[in-house]
Amino acid sequence: MTLRTCLIGLAAAAGLGTPAAAREVAVITPYLAQPGTQFYVDGFTARAEELGWTLNVIDTAGDVAAVISRIEDVVTQGVDAVVINVDPAQIGAGLQTAADAGVPVVGMDAGSDPLVAANITSNGYAMAAETSVYVANRIGGAGNVVMFTFDPFPPVQVRGAIADAVFANFPDIEVIDRITPDVSDGGIADSRAQMEALLAANPEPGSIAAVWAAWDQPALGALQAIEAAGRADEGIVITGIDANPQARDAIAAGGNFEASVAQDFDGIGRTTADTVARILSGKEIVQRVIYVPTKLVTIANVNAE
Amino acid sequence: MMRLVRRFGGLAGMLAVVVFFAVNLPDTFLTARNLLNVSQQISMLTVVAATMTVVMVMGDFDLSVGTMASLSGVVAAVLFTQGWSIPAALAVSLAVGLAGGLFNGLVVSVIGILPFVATLATLTIFSGLAFMVSDGRTIFGRDIPAAFGDFARGGPVIGTVDDRALVLPNLTLVAAVVVLLVWVVLEQTSYGRRLYAIGGNREAARLAGLPVVGLRLSAFAFTGIGAALAGLMYASRVASANPTQGDGLMLTAIAAVFLGMTLTRDGQPKVLATLAGVAVLGILDNGLTQMRVDSYVREVLIGAIILFAVGLSALGRKGVAWRGLFRRGG
Repeated sequence: MTLRTCLIGLAAAAGLGTPAAAREVAVITPYLAQPGTQFYVDGFTARAEELGWTLNVIDTAGDVAAVISRIEDVVTQGVDAVVINVDPAQIGAGLQTAADAGVPVVGMDAGSDPLVAANITSNGYAMAAETSVYVANRIGGAGNVVMFTFDPFPPVQVRGAIADAVFANFPDIEVIDRITPDVSDGGIADSRAQMEALLAANPEPGSIAAVWAAWDQPALGALQAIEAAGRADEGIVITGIDANPQARDAIAAGGNFEASVAQDFDGIGRTTADTVARILSGKEIVQRVIYVPTKLVTIANVNAE
Repeated sequence: MMRLVRRFGGLAGMLAVVVFFAVNLPDTFLTARNLLNVSQQISMLTVVAATMTVVMVMGDFDLSVGTMASLSGVVAAVLFTQGWSIPAALAVSLAVGLAGGLFNGLVVSVIGILPFVATLATLTIFSGLAFMVSDGRTIFGRDIPAAFGDFARGGPVIGTVDDRALVLPNLTLVAAVVVLLVWVVLEQTSYGRRLYAIGGNREAARLAGLPVVGLRLSAFAFTGIGAALAGLMYASRVASANPTQGDGLMLTAIAAVFLGMTLTRDGQPKVLATLAGVAVLGILDNGLTQMRVDSYVREVLIGAIILFAVGLSALGRKGVAWRGLFRRGG
């Protein structure tokens, strides 16, 4: 991808223009170096090429103010649409510039804003429903469950709210603790410490049936605690969300960490391009948040991809 | 002929950049709206680079300005979350900048640590403080008063183009005031002349009776306050603050001063030359983006252009432009 956009860039620099009729779209993000963002952009690029667009992918290398500057530049240049992958609350000035010039802005897992025509992302509610129902079914609808949540961060808060509802719907499931780990070190270490304390407080085998975590790091911390305490064979079920590589390894190993949910980054990129295409063809987007389906990852399919 | 190239090569190069974009982007580059956009985009860098010029005049420099900008932004934002008024929070942030700058001056001038080492250390300290103050979080949304974010989005209306108001951005005005202030200090006061004297020959300046230690110490206050102000401008522009957002300003600011030095007769840092350097960097970003040059290629190109410009100028006055940069402080 990078090489190709380099070539596109060099071609543009050399003055090799494209036909005036071609649609031109700019993708602007401060986070291109992050793996997730790269997958979005690759998916977007693939679909944009099928649609015959001229694409300008701009990475501001972590500089959010530069995202505003580059939005101003591409709006001046006259692009047909702008795609962002950054919190819209931080680039209000740029969104306003685009709105004033009548250039639509679409969010690729960016967040909602009145000036963003649509945001394409994964459904946090659905992801949490997948794993919490997995836990409930796996333990036969009965037992003590430990939850790891993080309510200060809205996208993670909704996951916890759904899991609360699912577990509350099973009369024989009791949530014995709802832990908010300290995430300043990434979340694994503190989750492990908290889980160790809980294991010590509940020494009876079977006294903890499952650990439901709102994202993978606490699940990995809980797994470490359970293995270190020598209680890996009690059948404690652990689930996470996001299916990061470490979580996939743990699931593939066949231990307590049984399930997580993978976002379809490529699909988010493609759907973003399709949404831009709809806007450019004059369609009104009434659904301001567009969800791309996610997939439950278990030992049954972890190696299938 | 060669001397002409060396003397005016930098200026010709900068004009060439402008002409290049004017030709390649005939409809969009040399428009009032685009140039006002550029002026706003470079406003933060302008403030940092202009105040950086003050210490570079003495042959010193300050690596800590970027993290100071980050620190100042999160200090204001955290105070906002605790219900402080905008003026009070801004005043505290600027005071933090002043204190940081004076501390830099103290370690460089009184204790006598090389500016490179001293400000590298304070760079790290300020960055750590920014993380401590903010708990590593980005502070945004309702925590930031609307008026603070609106400041960077507004400005006096100076006309109408294509039925859209043309605004002279507030951030541009702030940057212009800072450049004017630094110009007055450096070029119109005996204080400024003394700083240039120190840059010319520190030992001679000392023997001539100048209070070199005090002057160097005080000059670092400019970079501290300038960095803090730029951090606040950045925070206003993104209506948020995180503990790393200003970090990138430092290298670009120093590059801008060096670019500016290629324009002056004897390679001295001058604030108006610095402004030209900043403008060229901003124009390169703006023009290359509009020409759809890949952002990574853009970075390489900008670095190469800096090397070319400074190299050309250095050929003419080997050693002069770089004087004092790596010399032991004292």
